[in-house]
Amino acid sequence: MPPEKSDLLQGTLDMLILKIVALGPVHGYGIALRIRQISKEVLQVQQGSLYPALHRLEKRGWLKAEWGESENGREAKFYSLSPKGRKQLAEEESNWERLAGAVGEILRATEAES
Amino acid sequence: MSRRPDDSQLDRELRFHIQRLVDEKIAAGIAPEEARRQALLEFGGQQQIKEELRDVYRLRFVESSMRNLRSACRFMRAAPSFSITVMLTLALGIGANSAVFSAIHAILLRPLPFPNADQLVVLAQYNPKGRNPMTPVAPVRVEDWNRMNSTFQAITGYYTEDVSETSGQLPEKITRAWVSPRFFQVWGVAPAIGRTFAPNEERFHGTNAVVISDRFWRRRFGGTLEAIGRRLRLDGYPYTIIGIMPPSFLFPERDVDLFIPSPVDFPLSQTNRELTWYTCVGRMRPGVGIAQARADLATVQGQLGQEFPKTDKDLAIRIAPQKEIQIGGIRRSLWILFGSVSLLLVLACCNIASLLLARTAQRAHEIAIRFSLGASRGSVILQLLTETFVLALGGSVLGVLVAAGAANAFHALAKNLPRGDEVRLDWTIVVYTLGCSVIATLLCGLLPAFRATRRSLSGAMSQSSRRQVSARSPLQWALVSLQVALAVTLLAGAGLLLRTFQALGRISPGFDPSHVLTLRISGNYGETSDMKTLTARINRTLEELRGVPGVETAATSLGVPGAPSQFQAELKISGEPAESERKLPVIPRYVSDGYFAALRIPVLAGEACRDNTLSAQTAVVNQSFVNTYLAGGPVIGRRIEPVRPGLYAAPPAEIRGIVGDAREQGLDREPAPTVYRCFGAGNPTPVFLIRTYGEPMTMAESLRRKIHEIEPGRSVFEVMPLADHLSENFAENRMRAVLLTFFALSAVSLACMGLYGTLSYLAGLRRREIGLRLAIGALRGQIASQFLLEGLRASVLGCGAGLILAGFSTRLLAGMLYGVNALDTATFAGVAALILLTGTLSALLPAARAARVDPMQALREE
Repeated sequence: MPPEKSDLLQGTLDMLILKIVALGPVHGYGIALRIRQISKEVLQVQQGSLYPALHRLEKRGWLKAEWGESENGREAKFYSLSPKGRKQLAEEESNWERLAGAVGEILRATEAES
Repeated sequence: MSRRPDDSQLDRELRFHIQRLVDEKIAAGIAPEEARRQALLEFGGQQQIKEELRDVYRLRFVESSMRNLRSACRFMRAAPSFSITVMLTLALGIGANSAVFSAIHAILLRPLPFPNADQLVVLAQYNPKGRNPMTPVAPVRVEDWNRMNSTFQAITGYYTEDVSETSGQLPEKITRAWVSPRFFQVWGVAPAIGRTFAPNEERFHGTNAVVISDRFWRRRFGGTLEAIGRRLRLDGYPYTIIGIMPPSFLFPERDVDLFIPSPVDFPLSQTNRELTWYTCVGRMRPGVGIAQARADLATVQGQLGQEFPKTDKDLAIRIAPQKEIQIGGIRRSLWILFGSVSLLLVLACCNIASLLLARTAQRAHEIAIRFSLGASRGSVILQLLTETFVLALGGSVLGVLVAAGAANAFHALAKNLPRGDEVRLDWTIVVYTLGCSVIATLLCGLLPAFRATRRSLSGAMSQSSRRQVSARSPLQWALVSLQVALAVTLLAGAGLLLRTFQALGRISPGFDPSHVLTLRISGNYGETSDMKTLTARINRTLEELRGVPGVETAATSLGVPGAPSQFQAELKISGEPAESERKLPVIPRYVSDGYFAALRIPVLAGEACRDNTLSAQTAVVNQSFVNTYLAGGPVIGRRIEPVRPGLYAAPPAEIRGIVGDAREQGLDREPAPTVYRCFGAGNPTPVFLIRTYGEPMTMAESLRRKIHEIEPGRSVFEVMPLADHLSENFAENRMRAVLLTFFALSAVSLACMGLYGTLSYLAGLRRREIGLRLAIGALRGQIASQFLLEGLRASVLGCGAGLILAGFSTRLLAGMLYGVNALDTATFAGVAALILLTGTLSALLPAARAARVDPMQALREE
């Protein structure tokens, strides 16, 4: 993924992270894995983007972080959603739906006309 | 907020991820060594990620400020003419503001340059039933007050006079202050070199000693230490210099060259309670308020009244802070100027705000991209404000330069104003200027920044084309109207002050100040002990001066005509029946023979002063006196006498003549009933008024030489045309009018620029619309007049609002106006006409340009 593209997706990446974390406490590796799996390998998240995003979201108070034991017994940093983060996620989701809906409408309209 | 985790935590977090990648690969059947290599490769530069993580936690403010500053500098480089316009506008607004503030700071806010200066008060005696506001204080009473009070550390007195110092080749005119004991203690300043007076130097017939001012020291001795112990010759006696005051000792009377003890045990001053010699200054004890001191001294004076009923019963003591006395009436002028210059700054900010509105509207696309990259609204606003701040900072740096220049201009414009020489640029002013730039940033930048970031994410995306920026822009027109309104307010104030100045110039003073040279010849109060000799000396000098070729006539007066005298006298007409006896308040003036001829004051009846002696006991009254007190009756030959005879009251006199009214109390004051006593030598240093045939100053040298010839021991000073004295009286008036006019004209040009800029910008936005309309047959004239009308509407609205605002604000000028009403119709109409005219002119060019659009080109561009 070329760097400009990941930059463009930054706002979106934040939303995806919030969404994944909303499903339950999870570490960075888990988040990357889940995005890959859920999107059926369409979306790849670079670690170089993932970790700064995680820490930024934590700093904004949308994520809480705790050290805990991972499923294979190693120590890992687990992220979970704060109430503030939950609100943010809801907002971004509805924004996104509106936007996607609007774009979709336009695309459909264009197809119908042509 | 979470704190920044340390490196080991970051390491652990990243290591976990890598480990899982390795596990993943091993599970996929890759050999552990190879799996590890691939995982590390896939993960990417750990150091780089760690650096980015650290960035997340870095002091966000500093970091983002730096980033914003960098982008602001880029922005400035990208739009140099815009940036320069903004900076120059702010330089004007902020610079003028800082300049006026530097005057306010130096004159009003800073304490006087003495330790604990708020403890210093001026004391004066006055008669609550009488008419004279304040009189100087008898030396013996100063001693009484000092001894009997309980709220002062010390009370002292001084008086100044001009004398000749004759130890050099030529006599030098110097100003000496006679000071009573405790003088230096009260001011709280010790000599920089040497010492103050010892007890034996403060006694009558004690050792002659003198303390000199820093200025005199540098002027006379070039600032060398050898000055201590040197002797000066005053009144024929040698005085040894024992001390030199520091340059920071800014004694209220700045001209004073030396300080000499006025002995307490001087026989005359010890007994006579009716002398009015001293300006009296006291230093209150720490923690004592002025009300407390006032009550205390009232008690003291009450006791003195019982002890000396004849002289002290009717006296009261007036106390005012030294600072109030010193800065006097200039306070209001300065605040009014500050108010005006702040309006100017607000106007400049409105102007810039409208420029920025246009600017940020053009950048809507860039801002939309920032939003889509995840920037928060706050950070975009901060970035836009930083851009404005960098411009404001540039403007305020230029503004400091403007203020520094203005401080010099202020010295020139206001050299006679109190503490004017203390006005200078210091760190307070620089800090104030920076503060101004922050305020200006907020005033100019907040509105455009909020407006530019108002759109939601989806809004911003669809807004990416700038064709869709609203062309109605009520906000921008509101800003233009506001600018016009502020300019109108300032212009109305300036107009009124200018009309006042004009009216003052048109006044016929009742005397002719042109071709009159004034000068004074040094003398000392000791001469008043022998009035005959003193009178003879002055009459002889007058005779000699009248004989100089080029001199028409010469006379003396105890005051400069046209400068207000503080004193009033109460007279009665002799021979009026006791029961109907009236007390007539009059202005007493003491003049020699030839006075009315020298000033061209017409003699209406009887004769003008014929001689100049105390014994003559003749007087001349003016027309007002006759109209007010002796209307219809005989005047010539009536006798006037003081209501309360005493040592210092003028003796009775006979009225010998009536002269025309002259505005000798100041050009802006109506003539008051005046009695001219024909005796212009009651004071050793009267003002000589010399009417010349040619330009008065060209005679200065030959007159000086003549005086040196007949009075080699005396020095000549204050040689200047009478007209200059008169204009000096209007220094404050002139300063106000000149500065306010300058501010108002700046305001008008800014408002015009604002109108021009806004209209040009909006016309530019609507090129396509104009092109379209032209293409379908609209006339160019219609397009032009439409834009012109839009501009005019804003000017008219602003002008109306401004006139209302001016109607309220010009009331603040009450008392500063002469010959013009605060709501003067002509002035207001003139202001409105000027504003509408300049407004139309500034709208004309953009409107015409809008109509010149080539329709084909405009439509093709899009």
